[in-house]
Amino acid sequence: MTQGTSLDDLIGIEHSKLGFFQELRQTIEQLKAAHRDSERNRLEIEAILDGITDLMMVLSKDLRIIAVNHVFYDILGVRDPEGRYCYEIFRHQDHPCPECPAHRSFVTDEVCRETSIFRINGRKLQFEMVASPIKDPATQDRQILIFKRDVTLEKEFQAKFHQAEKMATVGMLAAGVAHEVNNPLTAIHGFAEGILRRVERLRGIVDPEMHADLADYAGTILGECGRCQEIVHSLLTFSRPHSSEFSPVNLNVVVGDTLKLLHNHLKQPKYRRVRIDARLCPTAPVVLACEAQLKQVMLNLLVNALDAFDGSAGPEGKGQAGPPKGDTGSVDGDAPDGVEYLPTVNGGRGRNGVEAVITVTPFRDGRHAGFVVRDTGSGIPPEHLDSLFEPFFTTKPVGRGIGIGLSTCYTIVTEHGGDIRVESRVGEGSTFTVTLPLPPE
Amino acid sequence: MRITKFAIPEIIFGHGSLDHLAPCARRLGASRVLLVSDKGLESSGWVERVMDILSGNGLEWVYFADCSSNPRDHQVHEGAQIYREERADVVIALGGGSPMDTAKGIGTIVGNGGRISDYEGANKIMRPLPPMIFLPTTAGSGSDISQFCIITDVERRLKMSIISRSLVPNVSIIDPQVLLTKSEELIIASAIDAFAHAVESYLSLLASPFTDHQALRAMELIMANLMPAVERRDPHALEQLSIASTAAGMSFSNAGLGIGHSLAHSLGGMFDVLHGLVHPVLLPHVMRYNLPVSVDRLAAIGRIVVGPRVASAESIARAGIERLGEFFAGLGVPVRLGQLLPDRSALETIARTAVHDACTLTNPRAVTWQDLLTICEEAW
Repeated sequence: MTQGTSLDDLIGIEHSKLGFFQELRQTIEQLKAAHRDSERNRLEIEAILDGITDLMMVLSKDLRIIAVNHVFYDILGVRDPEGRYCYEIFRHQDHPCPECPAHRSFVTDEVCRETSIFRINGRKLQFEMVASPIKDPATQDRQILIFKRDVTLEKEFQAKFHQAEKMATVGMLAAGVAHEVNNPLTAIHGFAEGILRRVERLRGIVDPEMHADLADYAGTILGECGRCQEIVHSLLTFSRPHSSEFSPVNLNVVVGDTLKLLHNHLKQPKYRRVRIDARLCPTAPVVLACEAQLKQVMLNLLVNALDAFDGSAGPEGKGQAGPPKGDTGSVDGDAPDGVEYLPTVNGGRGRNGVEAVITVTPFRDGRHAGFVVRDTGSGIPPEHLDSLFEPFFTTKPVGRGIGIGLSTCYTIVTEHGGDIRVESRVGEGSTFTVTLPLPPE
Repeated sequence: MRITKFAIPEIIFGHGSLDHLAPCARRLGASRVLLVSDKGLESSGWVERVMDILSGNGLEWVYFADCSSNPRDHQVHEGAQIYREERADVVIALGGGSPMDTAKGIGTIVGNGGRISDYEGANKIMRPLPPMIFLPTTAGSGSDISQFCIITDVERRLKMSIISRSLVPNVSIIDPQVLLTKSEELIIASAIDAFAHAVESYLSLLASPFTDHQALRAMELIMANLMPAVERRDPHALEQLSIASTAAGMSFSNAGLGIGHSLAHSLGGMFDVLHGLVHPVLLPHVMRYNLPVSVDRLAAIGRIVVGPRVASAESIARAGIERLGEFFAGLGVPVRLGQLLPDRSALETIARTAVHDACTLTNPRAVTWQDLLTICEEAW
């Protein structure tokens, strides 16, 4: 082995015991560089996440929250959500929500969407949710990424827009009808008055019996003309373009006028067993409001109540839980035109055989006035109660409604500083209570 | 004057210094130690003692005991594999030259990969070794101090010299208490090995003032203390032998050796002779061969062996060599080569192999294989 080895090699001036220092220093430099890179990446990702205005959550398989973004804190105000169940925070429930898109996404391994209303800090917020599955490459564990976008305002605007469009159309129609109907009505009214004046001159000339009949007919024509004018007037006030000017409105009048409008609608055979029982309030329930808008609320609630007896479709904003007992759907459709509904004020004219009752009760107490619309219809399933006032939520078939009625009611009542609540039991009926503040004395 | 270099490890010396093993190991980053030792040390109880020290200080250990008296290349590779598989960190060797050289070989493979024969020669190790702590149990080998590692290449039947500063251990803990349990034969063999280290490095071409001092001091201590150590197991004498061995190690590690060790390596590679037993046989003959070029130095050795006297340098040198032969004979160890080998037929091969040994380089007088053969014939 001495070949190539010299005394200088043995002395080894140039050689020292090799340490790990150089290697360690290199490794430390590499680690520092890697750390800088990952820190930069982290900040980038953080900036991107902060730029997302949607609420974002990462959920584990059992729907526990793993991570959230800052929007979560802004909206929910919950400090330490990690480790808690998502349904516990959003629904205050101890079980997953039936419509949960996260759950569906886990099962199908696909992106799932859903829109739902959550009551958060006393406010009802509507969220559009997108759940997408993510796979942890290291552990093969599956997680779900959920985005929740607050679309409450968007939906409200949409609903208002639809309503405004509808009302504009109705207003035009009403104005046209009023114009067209008023002209002939004026003629009929004038001629009927003329007839009545001339009938007096026939007294003693014609058969007294005939005289009495003519006077009666002419009086009836005049009376009906008056009623027609009132209807036209109601139609006009109802369809007056939206105005935010409030004036004193008597809720008894609102109820009475709305019932007049519904008069014809109620003649349909399917409602013949429906009785509307209006119990006016003895102390005038006067609030500061927009009369036309309150009539709209009243009308919507009544139509909904009527639909609760309609076996063919659910009410707007109501789930249909099957025909309840006493549903008019059980009566033969070709029954004679016996109008069973009684759109009466103060009711009391019920007959035997009337099985469905809608009670409308204006009320007034110390600080509030309002009205209660109670029906004995099909009721609303509990899972739909939260969505009732959500714009475009409907269980009605296509063509029967687009789901803005109750949402419009909600908006109008809220704008009046009031409150609208619902209680319902499936098979027993529903009660809607609208409460409005009384004007200061 | 030639530029020289003097490199030694951290040395912890003294009775009970073994107790400092655990903190030393931990400072070097130990959590799971590879403990290299041999069967002989197990029976003396020292292996168990070291294991207790490690366990008692919260250090895990993996034990490797497959070290023969002339460590083989395959043993080194097995040890390195165990080190990797068991995810060990620091290497601790307990024993004489064999476990320590095995540990050096293991460290070399762990740090650099490949086969141990790849590193034969000087300065072939290019990457760091794991930290090493050596606990010498024989006052002789000097492996705990040196940059040498001698491993037997089984296939070629020769001992490879691997020389690198990286083979100097990080810490050498020398506890003279350990020597108390050694056999008489082992005390003698290792003391003579240390004496040979001192003589050869003193005569070496690379000897420097720093190594000279250590070499002469080692010779003095061995001459004065070997007999009391053997006869009475005198603790003081044993301690002095430890100091001598360490001093001789410092000397030969930096100055190198001579043809005595070239021949010893060659003999050990072919016949597995106990290394320490070769020197009583060869050393006087090697000294005599070197006399023409190293009269003054051999005279200095002679004065240590026979005591100061007024005479010519050459006569003192010769007197010293003679006295040394008698001294070895008086210890009851073999003094003729014929007592170690079965026949003379291998002598030429031994000589031809030894001439290529790294130690031949530093011998003060140039040699041919024929010269070495002559020395062997004289020693027969």
